Amino acid sequence: MSSVERPIGSTDREVETELFRRLPDDAEAREQLVRMFLPLAEYLARRFDRRGEPLEDLVQVASVGLLNAIDRFEVERDVQFSTYAAVTIIGELKRHFRDKGWAIRVPRRLQEVGLRVNAVLPELSQELGRSPTVEEIAARCEASPEEILDAMEAVQAYSTTSLDSPVGEEGAAPIDVLGGDDPSLEILEGWASVAPAVKDLPERERRVLYLRFFRGLTQSEIAKEVGVSQMHVSRILSQTLSFLRGAVLEEGDPLRETEPHGADLDGT
Amino acid sequence: MASPTNEVITVSVPPETGYVHVLRAVTASVAARLPIPFDGIEDLRLAVDEACAWLLARGPSASAMTLRLRPLDDRLEAEVSIDVSDGPWPPPDMEQSLPWRILSALVDTLSVNTDGGGPSIRVTKRTLEPSRAT
Repeated sequence: MSSVERPIGSTDREVETELFRRLPDDAEAREQLVRMFLPLAEYLARRFDRRGEPLEDLVQVASVGLLNAIDRFEVERDVQFSTYAAVTIIGELKRHFRDKGWAIRVPRRLQEVGLRVNAVLPELSQELGRSPTVEEIAARCEASPEEILDAMEAVQAYSTTSLDSPVGEEGAAPIDVLGGDDPSLEILEGWASVAPAVKDLPERERRVLYLRFFRGLTQSEIAKEVGVSQMHVSRILSQTLSFLRGAVLEEGDPLRETEPHGADLDGT
Repeated sequence: MASPTNEVITVSVPPETGYVHVLRAVTASVAARLPIPFDGIEDLRLAVDEACAWLLARGPSASAMTLRLRPLDDRLEAEVSIDVSDGPWPPPDMEQSLPWRILSALVDTLSVNTDGGGPSIRVTKRTLEPSRAT
């Protein structure tokens, strides 16, 4: 039918670009892209296998990720679609596990402690004029220091497995690199040569990076400035850094840094 | 008071991304025994993450990754190392690299070494006040 004919000597990349140019109106082109990248979705789904989910369900979830990636990909951006798709698909798979897994696998007690830590941190920082120690937090939360640490780790473990927010899921639009007088664009200039993926970060993630690494603010100061909890800032930072690492390493092996952490998902 | 303790905590894990969280958790747990504020502990966890990722990228044929923690009088020293490097260490243009920039923003001191044969990254984080010697 009207599938793209591949001119002799053209690369996959060119075929791919041509297909993306025909979107969003050309259903045929979309179909063909799905066929081209379905093996990638299946491959990634298999990497999340052995977690007690039927493989077909995972392939289904991965396919949804692929469709989202196709719809959101912008050819003009200097990112390979396969990279973008892999990150989006993994995000979808992780979110699938997260949605199903968090409530069951993290003990209720730890969730409660985590919530209390969130509430107590700004109070204590205010009172002390500095970030509190774990002992101080524990005393205020009426929990043991070990429980505070477990809660911190649980929040992190659960969240380092979800790459979805840094790559612009959940409506966080990737930034327009050229526009605006947003000071966090500085981080693009400073880091672009060593971490090209910086320009793919949604604005909030980039702002948190900027405040931490260019302005030298502490996590609690960033929490206040951005208007989210400190645990959330911590999560944004660790996700964003691992996203950048993944993207930095991706020339060698795109999946190296996005390898699912079994122990994290299993709640250890 | 305040004489440095001679405690050293050493943990070795297989050099795989999946084990990094073990080292991160141990670091946080040891740091929490010192008067290091929450912000500082979070920074240390990120730093251990970053250091491990950096070393793992440089030494794919390593057979062990080791974390050594030394609680000192006024700081915690954390050193991550692997036993084999597959390229020059320290890497060329190190100070321009992303891991270096990230690490140097997270910790009070940062150095890279090859003391034990393999590449290592050592960071320190200051405590609020000299810790009580026990």
